[in-house]
Amino acid sequence: MLPMRPELLKGHLDALLLAVLEPGPQHGYAVIEALRTGSDGALDLPTGTVYPALHRLERAGLIASDWQTVGGRRRRAYHLTPAGQRALGEQRAVWDQFATAVTTILGRGAWPATT
Amino acid sequence: MAGDHVSTGPAEAQLDAYLSDLAARLRGPRRRRERILAELRDGLDHAVTGHTTVGLPADRAVTAAVTQFGTPQGVADAFAGELATAYARRTIAWYIAAGPLVGIWWLLLLQPHPWRTGVLALLTAIPILPLVIIAIATAAGTFATTGRGMRWLPEASPLRALSATFAVAVLALVGDLTVIAVYTLSDSPMRPLAILAITASLTRIACSLVTIRHAAAMRRAIATTLDVSTTRADHNARR
Repeated sequence: MLPMRPELLKGHLDALLLAVLEPGPQHGYAVIEALRTGSDGALDLPTGTVYPALHRLERAGLIASDWQTVGGRRRRAYHLTPAGQRALGEQRAVWDQFATAVTTILGRGAWPATT
Repeated sequence: MAGDHVSTGPAEAQLDAYLSDLAARLRGPRRRRERILAELRDGLDHAVTGHTTVGLPADRAVTAAVTQFGTPQGVADAFAGELATAYARRTIAWYIAAGPLVGIWWLLLLQPHPWRTGVLALLTAIPILPLVIIAIATAAGTFATTGRGMRWLPEASPLRALSATFAVAVLALVGDLTVIAVYTLSDSPMRPLAILAITASLTRIACSLVTIRHAAAMRRAIATTLDVSTTRADHNARR
């Protein structure tokens, strides 16, 4: 599958990151890997897109992070907050509505001529 | 995974060189930069482990991981917005905390006579009151729209957050200079309370001058980064 350009995901990245963190805490690189493997390589997002987006979500209070020391290295693990869990539910509903509408239009085939 | 730790000499040196290059390009609060570098170091270790697991030798695994993360300038540009917002929030929080510490002395010094009440008397005694109100509103609004408040309010961009920081610093500077001028020109006696108030304001004037310089420089840097990113995105979209 062809990788998607990050700008195509504008507006949906927050929901994707929240969804990846829903099963449990993950560190930044694991989030990148989860997006890539979970989408069969379509969502192969660069570091410069994912890490700052995680920081922004933390600023908004939708996720929180904890620092751990593993093998002498500091590691930051992110997890959903209750507000993040609610936001994910709302964004899922919005996406369902959006996807249904777009699929209806795009799946209709060629529009008949009006004249 | 403890096994993610990259321990071979040349590989370690290559990662250190990459992160040093990146560290030199990041602009923003020191603690925030250190945390970004620590986080990316951990991510690079994971990436190297991933590449060695599929059979790449250590040196090529490190090169692949570094390529995957992007050029130091590209990564620094990607973090520029977050770092600028962190700087704006930290500086505005400082002004919010320092405000009462400076203002209390001036309030005690300039408060209107007990028999003169009302807004006009207060404004005559403390002419900078409108500036204080505008500064507080700007600071509170920016703090809300760059933090948890952005779940309900429109999010402030890094450029807007820096502009607000610049504005708050200018308002504080004008306010401090005005109250010092008003007091010294009024021929009032130089009481210990006045010396305390003037010292507090002079300290904040020094901080405001530094803030104005930093916020303006950071704003210019961010604007340039955004221009480059937009050009790059347009170029990618045309391909």
